Amino acid sequence: MNLLIAIFLPLLGAAILPALGRRLGPRTGWVAVAFALVSFLGVAMLIPTAHASRTFAWPWVPSLGLSLVFLADGLAVFFGLVVSGMGVLIMFYGAFYLDGHYRDHGRFYSYLLLFMSAMLGTVFAGHLLLLFIFWELTGIASFLLIGFNHDKAESREGARMALLITSLTGLVMLAGVVLLGQLGGTMNLAELLANPPRDATGFMNLILLLVVIGAFGKSAQFPFQFWLPNAMAAPTPVSAYLHSATMVKLGVFLCGRLFPVFQQCDWWMPLLAIVAFGTMLLGAVLAFLAVDLKAILAYSTVSQLGLLIGYYGMAPAEGVDFDYLHILNHVFYKGSLFMVAGIVDHAVGTRDIREIGGLWKRAPLLGVIMLIGCAAMAGLPGTTGFVSKEYLLKEVFTQFPAHEYLGWFALGCIVLTSLIKIAFSARLFHGVFFGPVTDVVKRHYHAPSFGLLLPPLLLAAASVVFGCHPQLLGQLLATFEVNGLHNRAHGELHLWHGITRELLTSTALVVAGLALYAFIYRWRANDHSIPRALRFDLAFARGLELFGKFTKLVTRGLRSDAPMDYLPVLISFLILVVGGTLVRTLGPALLDGVWTAPDPLRAMIAGLIVLAVVAVIVLRGWITQLVCLSVAGFLISFYYVLYRAPDLALTQLLVETVTLILVLLLLSRFPRSAEQGEWSQPFSAARRGLNVALSLGVGALMFALVLVFTREEPASRVGELVLEQTLPLAAGANAVNTTLVDFRGLDTLGEIAVLLITALGCLGLLMRRKRTREEYLSGPKGPAGFGIEHEDGEDELSSQNRGAEVRRSVPPHARLQGGTSVVGQASRLSGEASACHAPLDRRDARPTTRLGLAARILSALTPRTRNQPEGRP
Amino acid sequence: MIGPRSWIFTTVVRFAFFIINVFAFYLFLRGHNAPGGGFIAGLASAAAMILLSLALGVEALHRLIRVDPVRIAATGLLTAMLSGAAPMIFRHSFLTQFNWHLHGVPVFGELHVGTPLVFDLGVYLVVIGITCKIIFVLAKSTQGLPGLVAEEERRYSSPLESPIESEAGASASSPALGGHQSGVGGEGSVPAEPKEARDAD
Repeated sequence: MNLLIAIFLPLLGAAILPALGRRLGPRTGWVAVAFALVSFLGVAMLIPTAHASRTFAWPWVPSLGLSLVFLADGLAVFFGLVVSGMGVLIMFYGAFYLDGHYRDHGRFYSYLLLFMSAMLGTVFAGHLLLLFIFWELTGIASFLLIGFNHDKAESREGARMALLITSLTGLVMLAGVVLLGQLGGTMNLAELLANPPRDATGFMNLILLLVVIGAFGKSAQFPFQFWLPNAMAAPTPVSAYLHSATMVKLGVFLCGRLFPVFQQCDWWMPLLAIVAFGTMLLGAVLAFLAVDLKAILAYSTVSQLGLLIGYYGMAPAEGVDFDYLHILNHVFYKGSLFMVAGIVDHAVGTRDIREIGGLWKRAPLLGVIMLIGCAAMAGLPGTTGFVSKEYLLKEVFTQFPAHEYLGWFALGCIVLTSLIKIAFSARLFHGVFFGPVTDVVKRHYHAPSFGLLLPPLLLAAASVVFGCHPQLLGQLLATFEVNGLHNRAHGELHLWHGITRELLTSTALVVAGLALYAFIYRWRANDHSIPRALRFDLAFARGLELFGKFTKLVTRGLRSDAPMDYLPVLISFLILVVGGTLVRTLGPALLDGVWTAPDPLRAMIAGLIVLAVVAVIVLRGWITQLVCLSVAGFLISFYYVLYRAPDLALTQLLVETVTLILVLLLLSRFPRSAEQGEWSQPFSAARRGLNVALSLGVGALMFALVLVFTREEPASRVGELVLEQTLPLAAGANAVNTTLVDFRGLDTLGEIAVLLITALGCLGLLMRRKRTREEYLSGPKGPAGFGIEHEDGEDELSSQNRGAEVRRSVPPHARLQGGTSVVGQASRLSGEASACHAPLDRRDARPTTRLGLAARILSALTPRTRNQPEGRP
Repeated sequence: MIGPRSWIFTTVVRFAFFIINVFAFYLFLRGHNAPGGGFIAGLASAAAMILLSLALGVEALHRLIRVDPVRIAATGLLTAMLSGAAPMIFRHSFLTQFNWHLHGVPVFGELHVGTPLVFDLGVYLVVIGITCKIIFVLAKSTQGLPGLVAEEERRYSSPLESPIESEAGASASSPALGGHQSGVGGEGSVPAEPKEARDAD
């Protein structure tokens, strides 16, 4: 129960915070902290039972076998604590960080709580599909948070890039997950982990590849590593929470979660080791070359994630030893470093490391925090970083050489990366806090409040405390160990092991790293940037651009602006395919039963309908034609009466009435000149011949279809079933109505939803009009009649009054444009989609997305009126 | 008002409106057991509204019906959805309909009630709302009046300034988004520069 609260309470908070935020303003952060705290406590209450791997299940979609299953084992509880704990700290930090410069605090914390809920759902998920759903939800929350300052282009592009990469890889992961479920027979994680599917063929390798691509995408490994630095456009609390401590660890979590399942695959070790350790080195190099504070930290996160994933990759079959140690160490130092970077950005106003310097005197506490963070990153003694590195090196030296090339590759990567990491940690710390005080600092610096410093101070303190007493940490972490993943026989964590190979190596690395940095600093090789070859994000942006251009090319090639151009294609397809099939299958048997004696009443009605339709063709004048068409419609309802379907007849009558009025209203807006064909180009003779042929073809097709369908027996007996069951099951005697409301109620619900959506779409289209920026800034406008009156509504009417030509349906005070402006209108019209005839210019230079007929014609032909007051009741 | 003012027409329509609406209600109630139902009743009511708008003019009709017809339609959809979702609280599946036959009701004797009526009510409201809205907008524009007022226009308009495809490329920033965030509906000028809109709280 408390698990449910822990996961879903932040979701509830996310729902109510936007409304609260408008009233509370910057104080919304405290409400968010409260929610996060409750969630943290809920997860913490699961610690005592973590070793028992409890499962909680609630049925959700039983037919799919999908239930809300949550698995609370050690791994889940550990990650849950990290997520909720960091959540509390981040919201606390955010409450101080987001001061009056920001707006929409409610929205911000709402998204953060949404993210926290989604993240907790992912780590606790006990069903593979549930894992995927929450995985995607974290991606969406991340998108919303990165793009929070959406008026900045870089935020929008960073958000879009993050969403595209994580979603696409997430889809690949879904494919892998579904295949895994099929292979294993179940998608329930507890069962899968207990009995992992064994596969002799290489199929498991393929599944592994698919799932691991998802993990790589989320954790920004090669080749997806470029989205993480671009996600740094987010506000710093977001970066510290999502993109360092929690969301990007999902790939690591997935590898850990599915370790028992995939560990026996041949590809597991090579795939993870090569990609992850390679990314580790790449990330370190990029971090060394970057100049933006957050970019340095982002690349170093990429590098560390590579280490964590590679660690799982190189793990022996019995299980890993100290993964929690490495993960927790990273959370401590990266979280605090990101927060410090945010504070520096807040205090100084820039994130470029070249423009900052000499902050030590002004903010010594901040300097101490960053010192501890950088020391942990570099692995200096006294911090958890040192403990982590010692144990890592120990494992590297003892276990990795057993794997030959892979082992030596991993070893080399780790050593090189450590070297570079020390160098850029030193650069980070030294560059920000020492060196000459720059102008930027002098001009903009204002001291951060203590509340802002508290969360990173806590993290740094934790790093130091556990770094000096690793036994404590070891005992704490031992409660979270999971069978199948962890090798429990690893012994305790100690600080001092004697002068070992590891200690000598790490000392040598520290010296070398500092020397490297000193060398760079001495020779002022500070003006470096990331080489273009490594800028994957530029390649990605270019790729998206090209994709857009390609789609435009295809669309423009296939598309035309006039609806009349599509009709011949559609109709001829219909005739050829459907008619052709009929003729081919039935042959001469098609016309059986035509020559029966017709019933006189029906024959008379049919004759009247034919007469009405012929009148439409022969008569001139739109209103006359429309009325004749409606007559045909009304006569069809007579048929319904004859066939004893009163509901249908009623509906037909009413629909015909309403439609008639609707179209009459539309037609009355057209001046008579339009009716007389002055506004459009007539068809050529060939096109007219085609139109006639198509019409005749459709008529013949319908004739044939009706013949065939009335002759054959219907395939299903649903109609009879409904008639039988309408009274017993639905308690209503009207089968039509019970079908609509009861038997097929879902269809009706869908229909009215579509009706509403269509109406909103039409209204939106009526408003949609290409406006220049100046027009938009001057206020909402539309063509007169569909929007507000134009400010400069000149009276074109008086001089161009058509007098007696005014149509009866338009009141006397609203005149139509006459004479000369018709030419103007005609040229405007001919440049756009024409109603009934082929347009003059097919390839419109500016293709539009508007609805062809109604909106554009009406806007072009709107009668201009005098300045009328805005009539709003 | 479309056409010359006709006193006969106006007077007759006032009565006819009432009668048609009663008939529509009758159709609505009898739908379950005899020809009728939500769609038909909605169309009949809509036809009555149209008649009234033809006789009295759309302005008068707006004074009669103060609420935006699209809101009526949305209420109808919500009603239908809720009537379908309510059984889920009691562990039935979505859109389970219940019918009860009541005996001994004071005036009617026997009464047959059921949840399909609520669903049908939703359908009725949707049809009325949509038809009325479209007819009103078109009728008003036919008479040369603005079809939608400023507030409605903002509600229905897309915040995009530039169309989705344009050769010149979309405009880089959309100030409309900033304006949309800070105040929904009823504000003066829509696009506020992001800097100005920052102190919304």
